[in-house]
Amino acid sequence: MTEQIDKALAREYEAGFVSDVESETFEPGLDENVIRRISEMKGEPEWMLEWRLSAFREWLEMEEPEWALVDYPKIDFQSISYYSAPKSMKDKPKSLDEVDPELLRTYEKLGIPLIEQQMLAGIAVDAVFDSVSVVTTFREKLEEAGVIFCPISEAVHKYPDLVKKYIGSVVPKKDNYYAALNCAVFTDGSFVYIPKGIRCPMELSTYFRINEQNTGQFERTLIIADEGSHVSYLEGCTAPQRDENQLHAAVVELVAMDNAEIKYSTVQNWYPGDENGKGGIYNFVTKRGICHTNAKISWTQVETGSSVTWKYPSCILKGDNSVGEFYSVALTRGRQQADTGTKMIHIGKNTKSTIISKGISAGRSNNSYRGLVRMNPGAEGARNFTQCDSLLIGDQCGAHTFPYVESRNPSAIIEHEATTSKVSDEQMFLCRQRGLDPEKAVSMIVNGFCKEVFKELPMEFAVEAGKLLEISLEGSVG
Amino acid sequence: MSEWLESAIARAQGINDWLAPKRAHALELLANTKWPTRKTEAWRYTPLRPVERTQAKVISDKIELSPVAIADLSAIELVFVNGQFDQAQLTKTLPEGLSISLGGDLGSAQQANALSVFSTIKPERHIFGLVNDALAQDVVVITVAEGVEITQPIRISSLLSQGAESHTRVQVALAAGSRLTVIEDVQAQGESFNTAFVEYNVAANARLEHYRFALQTGSNVAIGGSHFNLHDHAKMNSTIVGFGSDLSRLDTDIIHAGEFADAKLNAMYLLDGKELFDLHATVEHAMPNGKTEENVRCIVADRARAIFNGRIHIHRDAQKTLAELNNRNLLLSDKAEINTKPELEIYADDVKCAHGATVAQIDKQALYYLQTRGVSRSKAQVMLNFGFINELIDLMPNAALAEWIRPIIRERFAQMEVK
Repeated sequence: MTEQIDKALAREYEAGFVSDVESETFEPGLDENVIRRISEMKGEPEWMLEWRLSAFREWLEMEEPEWALVDYPKIDFQSISYYSAPKSMKDKPKSLDEVDPELLRTYEKLGIPLIEQQMLAGIAVDAVFDSVSVVTTFREKLEEAGVIFCPISEAVHKYPDLVKKYIGSVVPKKDNYYAALNCAVFTDGSFVYIPKGIRCPMELSTYFRINEQNTGQFERTLIIADEGSHVSYLEGCTAPQRDENQLHAAVVELVAMDNAEIKYSTVQNWYPGDENGKGGIYNFVTKRGICHTNAKISWTQVETGSSVTWKYPSCILKGDNSVGEFYSVALTRGRQQADTGTKMIHIGKNTKSTIISKGISAGRSNNSYRGLVRMNPGAEGARNFTQCDSLLIGDQCGAHTFPYVESRNPSAIIEHEATTSKVSDEQMFLCRQRGLDPEKAVSMIVNGFCKEVFKELPMEFAVEAGKLLEISLEGSVG
Repeated sequence: MSEWLESAIARAQGINDWLAPKRAHALELLANTKWPTRKTEAWRYTPLRPVERTQAKVISDKIELSPVAIADLSAIELVFVNGQFDQAQLTKTLPEGLSISLGGDLGSAQQANALSVFSTIKPERHIFGLVNDALAQDVVVITVAEGVEITQPIRISSLLSQGAESHTRVQVALAAGSRLTVIEDVQAQGESFNTAFVEYNVAANARLEHYRFALQTGSNVAIGGSHFNLHDHAKMNSTIVGFGSDLSRLDTDIIHAGEFADAKLNAMYLLDGKELFDLHATVEHAMPNGKTEENVRCIVADRARAIFNGRIHIHRDAQKTLAELNNRNLLLSDKAEINTKPELEIYADDVKCAHGATVAQIDKQALYYLQTRGVSRSKAQVMLNFGFINELIDLMPNAALAEWIRPIIRERFAQMEVK
């Protein structure tokens, strides 16, 4: 059985191709001039440049965080290129027909339904290739509803007031080392604004891809759901297979005004490196949302990629009766390391949060849940439920749980549970007895283990996530 | 580095006794240790200001103090007064197979043995453990011979007079197949500072019953540790009862160094006023087939702060481990605070591990039920609080101790409600 597992584990990274697109890339290195050049390339207004520069100055004073249970060589921030754009983007395409066909083929290979499938799937996509946003589909239809969905670089020009007001309002510039770096050098990302009382007519989606060598990707997403609005947003990521590590340091900010709801789903499949831990993406991401009165933010993530993951999508439950949710499946194999979890900060009265985290470790990987639940003194009647389950496949991996629970309000109720187990021989025996091969059996058991999270994903993503997990697990029966 | 630590290091450099090599090693480590701040994970919620401004001093004059009596408990008494071992108060005739002696008075072979195991169970990461290594005044060594069962419990009392500073240290070795009960107790009269560390080596098939009472309150600083090393088929059952003070910090480490070891830990702490109590319980499963069960319950009233860090670390080889940690907390006031962190770090796949933590307030329905039966609200609260803790008191194997602590805890609850 071990052989089968090994075989399965040795599967190739399917999104590991390199697209042959001519691109314009900055020389590696980081100083104020690089930031000025990025800002210039984007034709940004002065205030944006100042904002970047002040973040950069803060960043220089900061130290890399070392508390996570991950181990990687120190990153040389001078050896990274901070800007890369496909050349054909110089004259921005007006419609899909004008987009470099090679680029479109890339997305096709990735299975992103950019055009026709779009119609069927009814998803509006903003695709970010290396550092720039390539194309945003279905804009007109969204505009009819008053929804703004565009690259953030465009929003800086078109909607400066909104951007100015909200950028950095949820994740401050000097929030942490990587967030500060992102503020200084972010290149593109998505901007979404849902007006008051509007239910976004379709799912919004962004696909990120790092293509160039030695580049880092620093995208920034800002979603504002105005009072009483509703939006569901999907995010997917891939990168080519390369021997060296690449850095991805994104920032996502969500603002849910009174009675608004934001559902943010991620399927993260960055290149995880090879079996010996060579190459792969360092995924150091800051995601945070703020909920005003009666608002709700729901994070769902399926994490299968990246060699090192450092990611804690969080909710600040500021308004009374607001709700935060976090559903996560994190699968690590090979030499992958993941330190991921969430923070739920309860400030308002009767705020509620639910955390369901499923960690699956295989191979020689390490998978940690790290979370914080804090009940502030004003969080009268607040409620949290946390469940962290870990599944170990093989005896060379690790599964860890580091939950911080802080309560300052006697009427708040917090429950935390964690369990660790393995795919048991009995379960396997039962499945095999019924004629399932070991791979199928493991996949079935793992799918069952993750069911609570998958059911939170939008339909299209749930299928993709299930498939992704199946591929990732092929043969990892221990 | 703080002024306090600098002066402690300076004082330690003057000591020259049988522990010299160990003390030198501790000083070397201390020289490279950063004084903990809020950013130091192990001291995240416990500010060290009370240590920094303590006025407590080592008192070398002999002062007469004796431990409180416990009814129906016939214990072998081992007393430290202001850190000095009080030979006069030691029970005169010890049962056969038990030896209690100052490390300095041991024969050379025994002393060499005691030296070799000193500070090998207590992990080096405890900064105040290192302080204790360097400054421990009198180190007492207790040994139980192979296969001997000592029925009388040993009570180690560390007594402090007003304003005293003390550093007590005991080393306990249970030989294979032996049985022993040890009670650790610190009693202080205020404005004091103490570090009290005990290391237990529990050999194959030996059984240890352990109690630690940290009941000093008010402006005392109490920092200590109980550290256990369990060999094949060794068993331990530990009960910790704590009240808070300006700063009370206790570290326990249970190391499964042999297979099929079995550890139980029940801890309860009840805090009031502006007290702080910080319990760090670490379990290291280094070998297969170990079993650990931990129950930690805590009630916090007024403006008190409770901290719990429960870490279970399952090493690569520790297959077939069963480990469970249950942490339940009650918050009684809106100024009180609970910070809890149950950690699991697991590197073996065929294990069963679980932890659960809850923070809540007394069940309102239960309170209502009692009130409808004519029990006053405050009485009902005491009853329910007491019930929450009483479940753990019932689990104490020693009946005399359970009956002694029960009214003390009940009394404390009654006081909590008055405010």
